[in-house]
Amino acid sequence: MPSQIDQPLVGEIQALLAEAIQVPVEMVTADLTFGDLPQWDSLGHMEILMRLEEKYGVEVNAETIARLVSIPEILQFLKENEHE
Amino acid sequence: MNNKPLTGVQVEIQPEILIPDYLIGEIRSKLAYVDESITQAEVSPDHIVLHLDPARQEINAGRKSEIIHKTHQVVNSMARGAFKPKIQVLEDHLDLQLPYQDDPMPELAALGEVSQEAEGIFTLGPLLCRLIDFFDRQFVDLGSSFDAEPRRFPTLIPAQFMERVHYFRAFPHSLSFVTHLREDLEVIDRFSETAACDQGSLNSPLESFARIKTLLSPAVCYHHYLALADKPLVGGKSIATAVGSCFRYEAINLTSLERLWNFTMREVIFVGSKDFVLENRETARQRMEPFFKDLGLAYRVESANDPFFIGEFRKQAAFQSAFQLKFEIRALLPYRNSTLAVGSYNYHQDFFGRNLNITLPDGAPVHTCCAAFGLERMAFAFVSQYGLDQKQWPAFVRDSI
Repeated sequence: MPSQIDQPLVGEIQALLAEAIQVPVEMVTADLTFGDLPQWDSLGHMEILMRLEEKYGVEVNAETIARLVSIPEILQFLKENEHE
Repeated sequence: MNNKPLTGVQVEIQPEILIPDYLIGEIRSKLAYVDESITQAEVSPDHIVLHLDPARQEINAGRKSEIIHKTHQVVNSMARGAFKPKIQVLEDHLDLQLPYQDDPMPELAALGEVSQEAEGIFTLGPLLCRLIDFFDRQFVDLGSSFDAEPRRFPTLIPAQFMERVHYFRAFPHSLSFVTHLREDLEVIDRFSETAACDQGSLNSPLESFARIKTLLSPAVCYHHYLALADKPLVGGKSIATAVGSCFRYEAINLTSLERLWNFTMREVIFVGSKDFVLENRETARQRMEPFFKDLGLAYRVESANDPFFIGEFRKQAAFQSAFQLKFEIRALLPYRNSTLAVGSYNYHQDFFGRNLNITLPDGAPVHTCCAAFGLERMAFAFVSQYGLDQKQWPAFVRDSI
């Protein structure tokens, strides 16, 4: 689970996901993973990636598409790349 | 697209954005669906030429402008922000000396081995039938090596099922619909008295036909998933094999035996946990490799994506590529120096498990894979590389048919 210091970023990601896959934010738990909700399918996943690209400059490529499949993974990726 | 004589009107279009090389073929094939007047499309990164047939529909300035607008829509939707696919090659045996370099279609037609009934619809003669049976026996053997249960599936498939697996959204352009006359004595009598074909099309009013509840099936494995739907998977795994007719309408892309509207596929289907299906998909590929090598087929196995329709193409193709969901067996066609997909090894993740409510003993949705082989394409690729003189064929093929 994310530490307390990550909470604002987790909240941002939850909000971004909820908007991307068009579900109420309450349904987007902090450990949500691809496939947990029917809306997070292949199309939903690509919508999430494109929004991450727009908001955080994440490059959408084969590696990020395959890796960023859960909120903890997205959080980890953003933290690894925050100084780039 | 078809190599028909170019007649009629040409429209030249400069795309608003440069078309990446890796999208040229995909965009060319999708332009077939822009307008019924289009008979051929030539596409380069910065230039598109559409050939229009005014006999199909009048081409005035307004129609031209509408076609240009729709073409820009297609190109922008598919190419803007496109994600370059990462091609992974698992087998590469393209570099072989082959005894035949010509297009086999004229010779096949002269020998009565192919006879065209309509666009994308062919009957086949004895040699091609024997070749197809030979290839199918290899694929049946593959199924047997997994103790796959034999299944027989219908040609028709319910529209409701296709809706559940989102086929209408992903591949609307390739659907083939089935209907029948309404159960109404007047309608049936009127049809029997007046039905006739006008330039190949029935003249009957659309109101004579029942609402569409059924389609022609586009794939074999769908029927297996449908049979397993809405219940737990007994034993948590299933391996089945079946051969069946499949239908994918491809407009002017329908070309010789390369791209048929009505074709036959043999599939070996795996249903179960993620590890179970992925392991079996890889084993299937490894078990087929010695056969293709012994056959002397020039081919490669590489990652690919399905021909999603325009609106979904960009996202779905990128997703399939990133997760390596599809690997195609692409055989060389020497006469056109290009390759043709003759089969594929596919992983659908838990897509069918989730959408059809097929569950593992722990309640999680099943994962699915299939190895699919196009029988007409397989035979066509073989005669494209080895010709019709059986003395040129590998001995074990000649002796087996």
